[in-house]
Amino acid sequence: MAVRAQFEGNNEIGVFSKLTNAYCLVGIGGSENFYSVFEGELEGAVPVVHASLAGCRIIGRMCAGNRHGLLVPNSTTDQELQHIRNSLPDAVRVQRVEERLSALGNVVACNDYVALVHPDLDRETEEIITDVLKVEVFRHAIASNVLVGSYCAFSNQGGLVHPKTPTVDLDELSSLLQVPLVAGTVNRGSDVIGAGLVVNDWVAFCGLDTTATEVSVIEGVFKLGDGQPSAIQTDMRDSLLDR
Amino acid sequence: MAQYNFKNITVVPPFKDFIDIVLSKTQRKTPTVIHRHYKITRIRTFYMRKVKFAQQTFHDKLTLIITEFPKLDDLHPFYADLMNILYDKDHYKLALGQINTARHLIDNVAKDYVRLMKYGDSLYRCKQLKKAALGRMCTLMKRQKQNLEYLEEVRQHVSRLPSIDPNMRTLLICGFPNVGKSSFINKITRADVEVQPYAFTTKSLYVGHTDFKYLRWQVIDTPGILDHSTEERNAIEMQAVAALVHIRAAVLYVMDPSEQCGRSFEEQIHLFESIKPMFGTKPLMVICNKNDIITIDELPEEKRAQLKDLEEAGVPILTMSTVTEDGVMNVKTQACERLLAHRVENKIRTKKVTDIQNRLHVAMPTKRDEKARPPCIPPSVLKKRAAMQVDAKRRKLERDIELEEGDDYTLDLRKTWDLKNPDEKYDVLPEVWMGKNVADFIDPDIMQKLEELEKEEALREQAGLYDEDEESEDEETQDMRKTARKIREKKKIMILESREKRRVQKAKLPRTGKKVDPDDMEEQLEELGVEFDASGENNFGRMRSRSASRKALKRKREESAEPRSVSRARSSSQAPRDKSGMRDATMVSKAKKVARKAQKPRNMDAKKGEGDRVILNMKPKHLFAGKRKGGKTQRR
Repeated sequence: MAVRAQFEGNNEIGVFSKLTNAYCLVGIGGSENFYSVFEGELEGAVPVVHASLAGCRIIGRMCAGNRHGLLVPNSTTDQELQHIRNSLPDAVRVQRVEERLSALGNVVACNDYVALVHPDLDRETEEIITDVLKVEVFRHAIASNVLVGSYCAFSNQGGLVHPKTPTVDLDELSSLLQVPLVAGTVNRGSDVIGAGLVVNDWVAFCGLDTTATEVSVIEGVFKLGDGQPSAIQTDMRDSLLDR
Repeated sequence: MAQYNFKNITVVPPFKDFIDIVLSKTQRKTPTVIHRHYKITRIRTFYMRKVKFAQQTFHDKLTLIITEFPKLDDLHPFYADLMNILYDKDHYKLALGQINTARHLIDNVAKDYVRLMKYGDSLYRCKQLKKAALGRMCTLMKRQKQNLEYLEEVRQHVSRLPSIDPNMRTLLICGFPNVGKSSFINKITRADVEVQPYAFTTKSLYVGHTDFKYLRWQVIDTPGILDHSTEERNAIEMQAVAALVHIRAAVLYVMDPSEQCGRSFEEQIHLFESIKPMFGTKPLMVICNKNDIITIDELPEEKRAQLKDLEEAGVPILTMSTVTEDGVMNVKTQACERLLAHRVENKIRTKKVTDIQNRLHVAMPTKRDEKARPPCIPPSVLKKRAAMQVDAKRRKLERDIELEEGDDYTLDLRKTWDLKNPDEKYDVLPEVWMGKNVADFIDPDIMQKLEELEKEEALREQAGLYDEDEESEDEETQDMRKTARKIREKKKIMILESREKRRVQKAKLPRTGKKVDPDDMEEQLEELGVEFDASGENNFGRMRSRSASRKALKRKREESAEPRSVSRARSSSQAPRDKSGMRDATMVSKAKKVARKAQKPRNMDAKKGEGDRVILNMKPKHLFAGKRKGGKTQRR
């Protein structure tokens, strides 16, 4: 199921939240409307936690994580780290990373098995990613954008990437990640997928501007409803062509 | 994509208001005080400014009108046609053209009068010229009275036009009056079109929106069309025709086989045939409405044959009833699907489609190893999904709490803490302790280490390491300790008592107030090694004499230099000030020289001495008043 949400009038909800199969982090905002969207939808399946990193609410872009662990940037304060540690289940490892590219959410995209990272990422960071998140790491770009975390979103079931990704790249990426991939948009044509969409294996949240067509593509490729990714080629074809 | 939004055209004021606005603005925004005795150039510029300002204001206002009103040539042909029908293209263009001319004329008037103003030789003449200039501008505007009124009318009407996007997916409903077009749009969209049982209830275009296949669809309801030639059609009908001709839509021709609309079946077929050329290649459907009254099968043979002819010509025929809602959804679905297919087919032929071809491609992974990568969904979610559970009772969310508590609400971050011992949740956590950041010293193995230490300690205890201390002292030492403790206590008490005694209760006489005995003094000082003669000439020894007149304390001044002659001996009462304290005449002259030299720089500043800090005029007028450009110092 895909749910539309908005953070204080902003559609880029991927910036203010981080969703994985084991936990969900939500930025601390002025009101609880945004938090409660997640709280209501995840309903005790995973902990939904208020968090800030280095005093910022843009936690989705600052941290990277999956079911096994969470990587936070070096600028995270001790208190924030303590809070996150106390809130997450013990099985999740939380690790601070010394990395020049400190917006980890922008440079790392991962599910529970594989991760795509920025080509310039530190070798040490790569090792930490492998250890803490327990994933295979690939250095790759998406549609010639090195900020892989911003321009794609994928779960263990499927993935959505930048709308200008060529078909050849799509096939290659799909074989790397071992999930079906589709090029598409969120938030009425926005190409920053990572910012407009957060997704795990059973639920997705996207910006309020996301059109019905975009939502159905998301539900199809992430297998959130009854649909299968192949439906995009058949049922959705006309709607996608005639926008 | 061009947006057709005519809702924010600025109001066009009637000519009287127009003139009032401009003149009062000129009055407000230009200087108002002028006097006869001012320099003539100043008077001229004063009035020139007024004329130019009025001209500029007129110019701006007219330009706004000209630019804001849509240009018929730039509009989508549908809107151009619609505006032609509603407001008459010639009239509209003429009005805007005349406004443009008026603008031009006003500019020229201003130019002429500004030129004339240069020859104005008195305030009176200049003023008359200004008056004439403004008067002529107003007269020019007065001639635009009707144009302004017309444009205001157009503006009001155009802002209420439905916002039809001519390029969007559209279903267009047309047909004879009173066949049920408006009922159909009311059924499939949320538009609320008035439905009445007489012809021409709908007098203009109406728009509704509906959803189909994840897309938004625009449904346009047109006024009824009568079956006569285009020249004879009235404005209401022509709107429908404009929409038919220009909008790329699926056309639904609604018919009424029951003939309750007052038109015979044949007439309706005939109308369809006569407007058919307008449809072009658009997807077309014939809808037989009111099938609750009469269905196609119940129609007489010849009518059915006519329908059949149509169907053979490639026009699908559908039936529905807007009263029973029978077939309404079917009509919508069919129409939408046909239009979508038509549009997609058109689009595929263009280049655009190659850009989004990749979005239709689902990349399926080829297996690269044997590792299984199953999704990880918690069992609770799976169970809920399997049970198709609908939220029976909603959990109380954070937002509900926030709404309940209102301003008292504070975010409780520790609520979500997941600790082994939940009682510790709200423990106070020191962040900094004894100047050190606690977090720097957190050791993940601390509990383990503590346990080890405790074990070691227990072992030590068992081994009897701490047992020896007990009973090691004999009685004697214990006695000694007891006495020592007593002594210490007694000492403490004594100290306290003596402090109590020594405390001064009364006021103290200061040391200088006391009379000191000379003998004591002598003794003390001698002890310190100072010679002291209490009987001598010094201050101490001097006693008050018995005589009433006191002896002067200070010694008399003596003449320091020898008097030059005995005859002119000076009165030796007091040395002059400049010589007092000087050793001799050479010293005096030297000191004078030094003093004069020291005064030199002050003389340059016209100061009396270093104590002279007088500023004679804080704000010299010539620096702070007078003719400067751009107003005065205070007001700029």
